[in-house]
Amino acid sequence: MNAEGTEVKKTTGERHILLALDESENAKRVVLYVADFLGGVPGFRVTLLKIIPEPPEDYFENDRARKEWIENEREKGTAMLENFHSVLVHSGFRNDQVSTLVKLKPCPSVADCILEEQQRLHCCTVVLGRRGISRKEEFIFGSTSSKVLHSGKNCAVWVIE
Amino acid sequence: MEHVSVVDTEAFTQEKLRELIAHYIEPGRIPKIIKVITDTSDFFRVEFDNVLLLEGNPYFIRNYEREGRFGIDEQPKFWVKRAIDLTDGSMKIIKMVFHEEFRTTIGDLSFDCYRSSKKEARILTVVKNHSNFMQGSAVTDSAGNLVRVIDYIPGKSMADSVLSLAESHEEYFHTHFPSVLDNFIELVHAIKFLHDREEKHGDIRRDHVLWDRQSASYRWIDFDYNYLHKENIYGYDLFGLGNIIIFLAGCGDITVQHLKKYNEQTFNRIVENDLNILFNNRVANLRKIYPYIPYALNSLLLHFSLGAPVFYDETAQLLDDLGEVRSSLS
Repeated sequence: MNAEGTEVKKTTGERHILLALDESENAKRVVLYVADFLGGVPGFRVTLLKIIPEPPEDYFENDRARKEWIENEREKGTAMLENFHSVLVHSGFRNDQVSTLVKLKPCPSVADCILEEQQRLHCCTVVLGRRGISRKEEFIFGSTSSKVLHSGKNCAVWVIE
Repeated sequence: MEHVSVVDTEAFTQEKLRELIAHYIEPGRIPKIIKVITDTSDFFRVEFDNVLLLEGNPYFIRNYEREGRFGIDEQPKFWVKRAIDLTDGSMKIIKMVFHEEFRTTIGDLSFDCYRSSKKEARILTVVKNHSNFMQGSAVTDSAGNLVRVIDYIPGKSMADSVLSLAESHEEYFHTHFPSVLDNFIELVHAIKFLHDREEKHGDIRRDHVLWDRQSASYRWIDFDYNYLHKENIYGYDLFGLGNIIIFLAGCGDITVQHLKKYNEQTFNRIVENDLNILFNNRVANLRKIYPYIPYALNSLLLHFSLGAPVFYDETAQLLDDLGEVRSSLS
């Protein structure tokens, strides 16, 4: 199931929750939290989102290397989301209440990409994990969860630790 | 595929090349047979006294360039050669393709970096005619490699210029620092110019700023590094700017080792939060050492310290504070 291109109507009556996920342990905690909290509760649907920030073309030595990288990332992302999809279904979500979306896009900011998807899919809530990064890491790399918290508009943000 | 030729080319015969070369070196040193190279795929084969023919332009190859890094000086860069443009005699830096991916470690952080000719070529176009960036263009050799031909800048690095300015820090700070700061602000504006166009410099450090005597301006050099950013696309560039302003304000790096040896009293007042956020042997809280450093400047420096409560996300914020600091000095 793929949510890409399917504009979710606000009138379905179900609250739409967006789970922003990656390969980290925190992502697993996000899924388990939502499974535990909302599994079997009527009135909710979720989209599992994996953003693949597309490196600039100059990252790759040639176009073949770029295509291989993208293919590999897509496969990993898809496998991960399928696994999380099963977890949520086992927790009580109906199959049609869980969508998956692997999105490859140039992302100067992953947080902005997540929030773009939140807007596009009309999700009322974004759920994501926090890596618990050091101040040094935050300084050099920035923090996606902090940015989503500060930049998210017209939605709730749940940060799972 | 072999693209090396020692026979006469149509446009530049051996005789013609010798005639051109004779303008720049002594007659006795002109090679008898000039190796003309059009393919730079194996940059080790581009050697001293060869002529590199790029899109019809002949470059007479001189020495390779060297670069210091993380305290290790004089690392040869075999893919970067100095050359004379035989059409006008100007000195050029020829940068051949050397694509590498590696993990950079700074302090206890590490992240993926790479060197890209495409990135540098793109930025050379973006900064064309900008007085604070090295100038040049990218051309393709006969094998399709993107070779960058850069105008040579004969001047000193910003670091070397600053270190020779004064005998004491106090004299430097009161006499020279305001104009040094003006230059730095101009350079930060230049980086903002890049960031506004969604480009990173990628390797901001003080020896990547050279004084161009001809244009009387400092120029950023070397844009071929890039890093896989995470949330903050410009974080590493900002870190580089922070290191430079700490260096400029201190007229050199003030290390804890130096303080311990020469100024133990001050050393004993330094706490962990006073140190550079990644280079933990350098002091960022310079006011503890030089009490005449204004509060506004010191606050700015502390954004790059271990104790920083907030960081700069973008160059515009840094420029705002730099403006305030500059006002406080005049």
